[in-house]
Amino acid sequence: MNTKRTGSWAGTLWILQALSGLLLILLLGTHMIVNHFVVEGGLRTYEDVVSYLSNPIVVVWEILFLIVVTFHAALGVRSILFDLGPKKTARTVINWGITVLGLLAVGYGVWLTFQIIG
Amino acid sequence: MVETTQLNVRRRQRRPGAWLHVRRRHVGSWAFALNRLAGLGLVLYLILHLFVLSLLAKGPATWNDFVALAKSPLILPLDIILLAGILYHGLNGIRVALIGVGIGVRQHKALFWTLMLIAAVLLLLGTWGFITV
Repeated sequence: MNTKRTGSWAGTLWILQALSGLLLILLLGTHMIVNHFVVEGGLRTYEDVVSYLSNPIVVVWEILFLIVVTFHAALGVRSILFDLGPKKTARTVINWGITVLGLLAVGYGVWLTFQIIG
Repeated sequence: MVETTQLNVRRRQRRPGAWLHVRRRHVGSWAFALNRLAGLGLVLYLILHLFVLSLLAKGPATWNDFVALAKSPLILPLDIILLAGILYHGLNGIRVALIGVGIGVRQHKALFWTLMLIAAVLLLLGTWGFITV
């Protein structure tokens, strides 16, 4: 943790990264097993995807997975970029960049889910 | 001699991107660098995965064509690399989280190799799954 470079946020963000990571073991673990290991051939046909998503618990779980994985990925990319020692303006651009890209990814995933269901 | 080496290591660590220069460093540095490289790979894969899923919006024919393509044996090595990246990043991440909150700091090497053993076993099981499922 580099508190000098990232300010008091660093500790909080580290804990959030660790917690989201631990949550991902559960979320990605179930995602992999349910979608790629118990399904014949490791991938669902279109009809099977639609029937899989007809269960609201599945929709909530997969969207939760999408949100947590995007958050974890965005924070990870931020850490790597911040370690390059960017100046204040660049850090602001990075922070906004990962926020916007993260929100776009989640928005897109939710939209796609409801395209398939609807 | 030892002091000079430590000073050099410290100097090196302050440079941007120093985390990637793991030569002559300890297993912790390797683990950290590999964790980041795997993480970067997984971010790229996540983006690819989200793009591929957009094929679902184009209807059954497009998606089912993709499924047929993805079941080609040529994809198997890529699946194994992906699973290896996930298992390494996830299991090493457990160690990073534990040590970050002060658990197992003294046993961090044993913890690392235990987790890597679990990763290897799960990789073998997963590969067997990719082939047989």
